[in-house]
Amino acid sequence: MDKELEHQFVKNLEKHQNIAHKICRIYTNDQDSHNDLFQEITIQLWKAYPKFRGEAKFSTWMYRVALNTAITLYRKKKRSIKTQDFDTVDFKIKAEEYDDETEQQLKVMYSAIQELNDIEKALVFLYLEDKNYRDISETLGITEVNARVKMNRVKTKLKNILNP
Amino acid sequence: MDGLDLLKKDWKKREGNIPQLSYDEIYKMLLKRSSSIVKWIFVISILEFLFWALITIFWADHEYWAEMERIHLKEFTVVTYVINYGITFFFIYCFYKNYRRISSTDSVAKLIKNILRTRKTVKYYIGYILISTALITLIYTYFFMNYHATNTVVEDVEKYSFTPLQWLMFAGIMLGGLAVFLGIIWLFYRVIYGILLRRLNKNYKELKKLEV
Repeated sequence: MDKELEHQFVKNLEKHQNIAHKICRIYTNDQDSHNDLFQEITIQLWKAYPKFRGEAKFSTWMYRVALNTAITLYRKKKRSIKTQDFDTVDFKIKAEEYDDETEQQLKVMYSAIQELNDIEKALVFLYLEDKNYRDISETLGITEVNARVKMNRVKTKLKNILNP
Repeated sequence: MDGLDLLKKDWKKREGNIPQLSYDEIYKMLLKRSSSIVKWIFVISILEFLFWALITIFWADHEYWAEMERIHLKEFTVVTYVINYGITFFFIYCFYKNYRRISSTDSVAKLIKNILRTRKTVKYYIGYILISTALITLIYTYFFMNYHATNTVVEDVEKYSFTPLQWLMFAGIMLGGLAVFLGIIWLFYRVIYGILLRRLNKNYKELKKLEV
């Protein structure tokens, strides 16, 4: 019985692991922390899995638990590297796909995101993932109006960084 | 193109470049231990309890009880122990309940609220420890001195009694020592739980700001 549940869970997670990887990307800036957070997300998902039982889609449920882990449950370790070099992380931008100016813009955007706080990062992440405001408000436990207002503020903030 | 739209496009494009973990690699992760904040609060509270329990057991040997008997504090000590353990068990039960209540499937706001409730329990617990330690120390000192004053037979009373100034100094040293001791305990808790909860508090304030 337990073995079956375990198998089912790992299969599901294997299929949807991108969600967790993308959250790690937003919340960490080196490979070690990425792996740490990914592992903690996996453990938290597994702990919550018996309560899951398919009342929602696995991916929807996973967004919530994984984000919760990144924002509240995960013990961030202090790392000495504060700024990051994108080329060394899997943020790697393929140069041939963009012109220089666009590439530069993206680099600035990604480092701007790293400067945001945990909640703002969550908003940007959910936005990039094409989540609607209802999903965002439910995940964060705030009203839809507040989610919208806050999102607009973050957008303006990022825009200002990009076009000072 | 708008910066965020550009980012979104790039974000989607990179979806294909994400390194994938195998079934076995993920399976192995299930066996690792969690390092989550809530779990550590619970574990630390249990360790603390064991620490104090061991100290009492180590301290309270036969001689100790004999001494207590001699100064008529045995009953008092037993009663204090019972009350103390009762209250401590109650706190451990609260920590456990908090730990169980916290569910990673709640919304971020609710989750943080629950974790901060755990913090409140921790605060009460620390308060209880500090106050009870202070009270018990004072009561014991009083009884001990009282006993010595009335039961020790000395030939030259003058030689052994304190002048008012000496009494004042004695009380000052006692209270000072107690304050330092309690300060160390307080600092110890501040450091341990402070480290665990600092970031969480920041995120909670951030969410609170959204509500206004």
